[in-house]
Amino acid sequence: MTTAVADSHEAHEDHGPAKGLTRWLFTTNHKDIGTMYLIFSLVMFFVGGAMALIIRSELATPGLQFVHPEFFNQMTTVHALVMVFGAVMPAFVGLANWMIPMMIGAPDMALPRMNNWSFWILPVAFGMLISTLFMPGGAPASGWTMYPPLVLQTGDAFPFLIFSVHLMGLSSIMGAINIIVTILNMRAPDMWLLKMPMFVWTWLITAYLLIAVMPVLAGAVTMLLTDQFFGTSFFLAAGGGDPVMFQHIFWFFGHPEVYIMILPAFGVVSEIIPTFSRKPLFGHDSMVYAASCIAFLSFIVWAHHMFTVGMPLSGQLFFMFATMLIAVPTGVKIFNWVATMWRGAMTFETPMLFSLAFVFLFTIGGFSGLMLAVAPADIQYHDTYFVVAHFHYVLVPGSIFALMAGAYYWLPKWTGHMYNETAGKWHFWLSTIFVNLTFFPMHFLGLAGMPRRIPDYSTQFTDFNTMASVGAIGFGVSQLIFVYVLLTAKKGAHATDRVWEAPRGLEWTVPSPAPYHTFDTPPKLRVAQESFE
Amino acid sequence: MTRDDSEQRKNIRRTALLMAAIAVAFYLGFILMGVLRA
Repeated sequence: MTTAVADSHEAHEDHGPAKGLTRWLFTTNHKDIGTMYLIFSLVMFFVGGAMALIIRSELATPGLQFVHPEFFNQMTTVHALVMVFGAVMPAFVGLANWMIPMMIGAPDMALPRMNNWSFWILPVAFGMLISTLFMPGGAPASGWTMYPPLVLQTGDAFPFLIFSVHLMGLSSIMGAINIIVTILNMRAPDMWLLKMPMFVWTWLITAYLLIAVMPVLAGAVTMLLTDQFFGTSFFLAAGGGDPVMFQHIFWFFGHPEVYIMILPAFGVVSEIIPTFSRKPLFGHDSMVYAASCIAFLSFIVWAHHMFTVGMPLSGQLFFMFATMLIAVPTGVKIFNWVATMWRGAMTFETPMLFSLAFVFLFTIGGFSGLMLAVAPADIQYHDTYFVVAHFHYVLVPGSIFALMAGAYYWLPKWTGHMYNETAGKWHFWLSTIFVNLTFFPMHFLGLAGMPRRIPDYSTQFTDFNTMASVGAIGFGVSQLIFVYVLLTAKKGAHATDRVWEAPRGLEWTVPSPAPYHTFDTPPKLRVAQESFE
Repeated sequence: MTRDDSEQRKNIRRTALLMAAIAVAFYLGFILMGVLRA
């Protein structure tokens, strides 16, 4: 491992990337690996999106139109797994790979060969998962939560599901180790921890969360595997096991997982809002403490996902109040973003528009989360479309809008050219209109009692479902504009080193496009900061 | 390779092994918890 740490830098110092396929197969360069993560996640975003469109097409009107109910359940399951583990998480890892070394003044990630492995495990894992669609019995259909005993009724796909989840976890853990090791050991000499950019801080905290919870998911699915094939009864009531214990273990992973997908989004937005407000981030240190509090609290709220399984009153009260407490550090973050913008010389380029929409729309998802935290109310909302509306507001105009914001913000640094701003704004406005058209009506559907994960529904739910389906198709088509922006990314005007008018950070001190190797000599943070004054 | 490089490599290896050990402990710990409850 020691050899892998730094020799590769020394060996590559004097030349650029290798030619052809080998560049991508064997690369240890953080920028190449970041690019591969981002492209992979975009492909998965469209695969998962296609599944979402199948779901919404089926639900556009009452009755069964296009797909068999069993296939519908497979779509809801695989859509979620692909979007969570294949689109959102790898996209943030891609941003981390590209930006963290440049933000902290490091020449590369600390463990570049492991970095290559972390990425290349993913296509194998998702190839395996998606191949289950073509197996006898079809893909897993038990929901992404994989609750037993239902998941144990999966056909031939079951071991493939378990193995692919293991691989996804392994990739995430290796990536997280790399990020922690890089940040703790390879910062520029005068970059103290509290001087690190917020994106680096939020990723450091996220990486700790990953190290703690991905193995828990791996443990849970290992126990499912042994229950199915090796005669154990961890979760089988007939053998003395407890299916509810799986839910506890799953959500001990699952709730921090939500923050794994949103903390880096906070980091991206915390980079962008100051740039386009032309002010430093308000309350940088308090943002760090707030993110740390959110990460800590995420470990002690898991049972709010399962109030309906029954638990003692004291348990309900604990999980209810602990969940509500998360609103405090989250509120600190929202306040600080607004305070950063306050009296700033704001302009509204595409990254800023996506960031502003993130602040508003993520807050809607946060408020509906507070409603779901109230145990007696949750018993009414549980397993309805209100929950679907809640987590999609957190993940789509939350995580995905932040990813879009980050992509537009850093794209000129990656390509050396300005993207098509007009197309970017079309992408933003259409996405924002259609994302609300898709998910806002789901609140009303849920409050009216429409259950989740059903391919058909009573006629009184028709209007809002049709609206949601039209919105989903519009949102999906809008994302093609983003593909157009990427395909034409190198046709715009040449970008300057700083790209924007008022960015801060070491990544803006290197040329655009960023050279293949950066910071072979550690930079002086103070000198860089003075250049921004 | 300077002394600083060697020190940095040692720190990198140490941090990586510590994180890997934590991950393995969580994995095995939760399975052990399942075994003890069963």
